This record gives sequence, C-alpha cells and structure tokens, in this order.
Amino acid sequence: MSENGDLRIGVYVCHCGSNIAGVIDPKAVAEYAATLPDVVWATDQLYTCSDPGQRQIQEDIKKYHLNRVVVAACSVRLHEPTFRACVANAGLNPFLFEMANIREQDTWVHSHEPEAALQKAKDIVAAAVAKARFLTPLDMIEVPVTKAAMVIGGGIAGISAALDLADMGIKTYLVEKEPSIGGRMAQLNKTFPTMDCSI
Amino acid sequence: MVDAARHPNIELLTYTEVKRVEGFIGNFKVLVEEKPRYVLMDRCNGCGACAPVCPIEVPNEFEEGLAPRKAIYIPHSQAVPLRYVIDIDHCIKCYKCVDACGKLDAIDFSQQPKQRWLDVGSIIVATGFDSFDPSELTEYGYGRYDNVITTLELERINNSAGPTAGQIIRPSDKKFPKKVAFIQCVGSRDERFNLYCSGFCCMYTIKNAVQWKLTYPDADITIFYMDIRTPSKGYEEFYRWAREMGIRFIQGRPALITEDPHTGNLFIQAEDVGLGQLIELESELVVLSTAAVPRADTEQMSSILNISRSPGGFFMEYHPKLRPVDSPTDGVFLAGAAQGPKDIPASVAQGSGAAARAARILNAERWEIEPIVAHVWEDRCISAQGKKCGICATKCPYNAIVVEQGKAAEVMPAKCHGCGGCVAECPHNAITQMHFTDAQILAQLHALLAKEPEKKIIAFMCHWCSYGGADNAGTSHFEYPASSRGIRVMCSARQDQDFVYEAFRLGAGMVLVSGCHPQDCHYITGQRVAAERFERLAKRLAEMGISPQRFRVEWISAAEGAKYAQVIREMDEVLRSFDPQALKEENERVRPELERRLRRLTEIPDVAKALEQVYA
Repeated sequence: MSENGDLRIGVYVCHCGSNIAGVIDPKAVAEYAATLPDVVWATDQLYTCSDPGQRQIQEDIKKYHLNRVVVAACSVRLHEPTFRACVANAGLNPFLFEMANIREQDTWVHSHEPEAALQKAKDIVAAAVAKARFLTPLDMIEVPVTKAAMVIGGGIAGISAALDLADMGIKTYLVEKEPSIGGRMAQLNKTFPTMDCSI
Repeated sequence: MVDAARHPNIELLTYTEVKRVEGFIGNFKVLVEEKPRYVLMDRCNGCGACAPVCPIEVPNEFEEGLAPRKAIYIPHSQAVPLRYVIDIDHCIKCYKCVDACGKLDAIDFSQQPKQRWLDVGSIIVATGFDSFDPSELTEYGYGRYDNVITTLELERINNSAGPTAGQIIRPSDKKFPKKVAFIQCVGSRDERFNLYCSGFCCMYTIKNAVQWKLTYPDADITIFYMDIRTPSKGYEEFYRWAREMGIRFIQGRPALITEDPHTGNLFIQAEDVGLGQLIELESELVVLSTAAVPRADTEQMSSILNISRSPGGFFMEYHPKLRPVDSPTDGVFLAGAAQGPKDIPASVAQGSGAAARAARILNAERWEIEPIVAHVWEDRCISAQGKKCGICATKCPYNAIVVEQGKAAEVMPAKCHGCGGCVAECPHNAITQMHFTDAQILAQLHALLAKEPEKKIIAFMCHWCSYGGADNAGTSHFEYPASSRGIRVMCSARQDQDFVYEAFRLGAGMVLVSGCHPQDCHYITGQRVAAERFERLAKRLAEMGISPQRFRVEWISAAEGAKYAQVIREMDEVLRSFDPQALKEENERVRPELERRLRRLTEIPDVAKALEQVYA
C-alpha cells in the first residue's frame, strides 16, 4: 500500500444513532463524498466508533488500498485518538487520518435547518477531504519522562493523590500554600455518612 | 495527613507556592517559592513555649476567626508538620518568642523566601475551593446579626478541638441555643450568584443537624431546603435517619431574616411549599449552608498552569464525561473541588484517579508527543542568504527557534509546542507547521468556499478554546444559523493574514478569526501574537475597502458555547443585512489588491496544487 503514490481516500459518514442521522441523511453525504477528487470509497455507518465501524475501516484500507481516511462524525476533541489508532492498526500512518465534525458543529446546532445542515455537512466533508489530499505521514516525537510528580494542594484530594503516587514508587512533591496540610477536611469534626472523625 | 508526611517518597513543601511552570508532559520544570516561616523546621519541635509569651492576638483563620491566635502560631494542634510559623505582618518583633525558645534556638528572623526549580513529569492540581461569603446575601443579615453563622463556623464551635471545646454556644450571649434553623443553597442555585449546585451541602447540613441532635436530643432543629440531594451510597439512608430522629425539613427558600435586638433571636420568613403558605419561624441561631466557590487564586493558577476554567470558575476538565480528571494540558491532572464542588469520598476517588492518570505517564520510560511542530524550508529562509530577519524567533513563546545570520532558522522540535505563530508571522513564507500546512488549510478554505461563498461565514478557530467553545455550543444544543464554516488550527497565532485575504479573494461573506482569552492561551503568548496581527489586519482590510463588519475578532473559551453561538448569530445577521449584489461588487473591487498581496502565496510548496479549482 502506498502512502505517497496515487491518492486513495476513504470517507466514512457516521449516523451516530440519531444524533446526526436524525437531522441529515448520512447516505446523501457519503454519496456526495464519493464524487470528490481522489475519493475511491465512501459509505455511511450507524456508529463509526463502534467495533464493527472501525473494523470496516480497517478491512477497507486493505480491500480498496486506501491511503487516506476521513471520518465525518463528532469532534476531533472526542474521537480523533480513536480513529488514529484504528487506521494505525491497519498499517496506515495515523496522521493520514482526518476528521470532519458534523455533529457538535453541525447537526447538534442546526436541527431546525436540516437542509442547510446537510449542505454544511457536505462542505465540512469536502474540506476534510481537501485537507486529506495534502496530509503527509508523520512520526510521533518521543520525549524522556522525569519520574517525579507534583501535587499542588494538600487537602484530602491532594493527599490522596500523593499517597497513591508515592506508593507506586514515584517521588512526589506535595506543595501546600498554608503552613499545614489538611485543607478543609481538617476543619471538620465528624464526617458523613459514617460520622467518624476527619483527621 | 501524618501518612503523607511520613512517606519516604513524599516531600512535603508547606508554606510554599507555585510561581511558574515551564516545559511539557514528562518534562515540566516548576518554580516553587517557600515563604519564610522565621522558624527553623529542623530545630522547632512544636513544644509551643513561644506562643504563650507572644503579646499579639489576631483572628485564627483555621477557627474561621472565632478564636484568636498569636503572631507565632501553629494553625491547629494536629498541624502537619507540627512546626510554628511567624505571621510577620502582625509580629511586632518584641523577640519574646526568641527568649522562650531558648536553647532550641529555632527562631530566625533573617529568613528570606526560598525559590527552587523542581523537575517533574506530571502535575496534579488539587487546590480546593473557597466558601461563598454570605454577607453578599443581605436579606439573611450575616455580618449584621450575631446569631447568623455559617456551617463551617458551626463546625468549629461543635468541635472538641475548637474554640469552645465543643460546647455549642451562640455568638450574641454565649448561651446554648435550643432552637436552630439551617438554610440551604446560600449562594448556589441562585441566579444572582452561582447557578450550580454545590452538591455536598445537603449531606453536610444533615450531618451537622444529626450530630447536634445526637448530643442534644431535645434540640428543635429545622432545615430549610429547595431540594434535598442525597444520591450517593448510604446518603439517602442517612437523610431518612435524620427525619426519623425528629429533624424538621421545610421545603422553601427563606426570603428574609430579621432580628429581635433584645433577645438576639431571629425571625425567618419563608414559604412552606408543602403547606402552600407563608410562615415565620423564630430561631435562636441560624446556620447558613454556603456555596463552594472557586478559590480566589484560581485565575492566577489557571494562567500559571495554562488550564482553562468552566462556567462557574472551577478548573475545566478535558472532557466532562470521558476525561473528567485530565486538564486540557497534557500531563496536568485535576483532583478534588478545584475541578468542581465535591464531597470527601468523591475527592478521595478523584485524587486516586488523578494519581493513576499521572502514573500512566510516570511509569513509562518515554512518552510520545504529537509531531505537529514547525519546520523551516531552508531554501526560502532569508537568514540563510545572509540577510537579517529572525522574526520567527521573536514570536516563539518557547525559545524553540535559533536564528544565526548566514544560516537558515532552526526549530528545535522537542521545544516547539506547535502553535504555528512563527509560520504565520514569517514574511517570506519560509516556515510550515506539520499537519497544519498552508496547503492543507488553503485546500480546506477552497473547498468550503467552492459554492455561494458570499453566503458563508468562514470561522478560523483555535483547537483548545474557540473550537472547544463551538463544540460546547454543540453539546449544549445552542442553535445558530448554518451559514458558518469552521477551520481549526492549534492556536490563533497560526491564523495567517493570508488566509483571511484568500477567504475574501474567494468571495467569503464574512470572516471570523477566533482564539482563547489572553490568560487562557495554551501557548503562553500565542494569543497576543494573533491579537496584534488581527488589529493590523482589521485596519488594512478596511483601507482596502472591505466593510469593517465583515471581519470580526473574538476570544472565546472552551466553556463559552453560548458566546460562540451568539457571535455566529450576530455575524449571520450582519451578513443578511448586506445587499448580495453590493457584496459581490465590493469583492470585485478589492480583488486586485488582494491578488497583489497574495501573489507570492503559490511559491509555498504544495499551495499551487491546493489552489487548483477541483470543486466544480
């Protein structure tokens, strides 16, 4: 499979149950995507992030020799890592994946204008495909890790975090602004629901 | 507390503040400053000989100001570490404590703040919360009526280690109150102050009432509530127990409290929703259950740590459902009430959760970070031709670019965080950002404006904030017109003026450039670089003849979905107010000037190809 030769883009349009499909027709978006330059395969799926959804992408990468993948679904802030891992498992460089957000920034905010939302979804997918045509494979940058942690705040949450880290053998700095740790909880007498003491 | 102090892997840094945080996941450098205690930690043994001789008395913060402490003090008898500290703002330097300390010689007035840098791979923010100041709610008279107190004050009074040795007395006459009323939701679930529910106060008040009733079974206790919220394990049963022991629950938020100045008793006016009538209740003591609010230093901490805040002001998690412990900054995690009001079990659980999330990184030898860094095309960099430039280096918030005249600028990938500011600022188009190249972004722009461009609003967004704000509008289902088309980059600093020129050249109706608020910038100064650029750009566009309303700059946080939706609504309205024909004519008029300014754009690798018309 070539990553830099002829572009072979696959597009997957997610229904997200009714979250997307309740407003626009994902099939119409996929049919439109199929007409875009370098798109060799476009389809709609009930839940692209589900196991069957991801498996289909992986099978299609092999079957259609896809070297770029576009998923039109939710936000990159939610599922970009999911799909990067999905395409990587099928042997594609994870940076040859692009996401089109047609949920948070389309169907969830334009439910009263389904036709305009459909047109917008098509544009968003076209833009993702356009970007995908210029994607290049990239390698992650590896950095060393300092095996030490800092916990800022010596209340019950901070103490709990620091003790767990320390028990795992990690050097932990517990920083407290006040002269004593303990925070709010140290001020309490009994605590609910057990009515035992706080310190 | 003691376990933490004794643990061989924990270094306790008390009376210490975080001043600066640099670096990135796995490799943070934190500057901490230890305030001078004026007491030597290795000599003081906590014997307490010093405090009795100190002539100064100030309100003790730990006792909510209900009891005094000395200028040399420990916050409370179980303090960890059990070491005294001198409150230098109140100390009169009489040196009586020095005499009392004697041979231990633990007092040192020459101490100065001590700063040091610490290397850590991960940071957990567990800075807690403050209590709402109920004097803002004037109708309850806190601060005016002696016998209106807060739950935390009651907590200290009803505590054997507290100022009254556990004897419940009311402030006005130091008598035991037989009749007490608690008022819930003071400062929370209130449109004037905070909309959110603080969560733990129902149980906290019930606990205080139960504790009182167990000690004094004859006590007459009333709790005024809006809704009782006891959803966690064992909580509903606890509430039921409270009702069974005779604690009175009245649904209704009191409207006014007045005081009888002779008795010091209080009259609470409320609607009893259950009875459907107005009632007045006399009480000897009123206890206000105050909201948990963000700490006063939250804003300062959020800019030191580069983490944003939610509506309500607490630190914002990366994702409210799927990544509730992660902050938006890789390697920084949130625990406890700093992220939002939480009770003890939830704080402990989140503390453990944050520790596990941090350990995931800390137990790895190496960590992978995204390669979305800047890259210099050596043949385009004029520094390589011996000319003086170096603009890129001056715009880099991380000193990640080295410019030496005669050589091409060099980006150090490990130091580059990938904001893209240098890319947009380079006047010679000699830098690109991996995964956000000019060709990629311009290709998106062309696709979005292929049809009916004059009916569209192009919205450039930064990944962390304004794109998050647009997502927040989505998760909140805030409807706005479907005329906007977004392009995401990592930071507003990457939003090149050429992108805006190109959008207008292609005939876009409106252009929005957006990013974070200045204090929230994920790339320290990226937003400032963008803000300066956009200010110049707005002027230039106007000079060219583009109607000023067609270009807008907005700073929108990831929590401001409502603002994002509103901005698009307003821009859509402006766009609709233009006569389409006049808009097209304006575009035609400015096109030659835009083309002149963009004439070198196609020299950038791949851009010519990206600008080909492929969308019929």
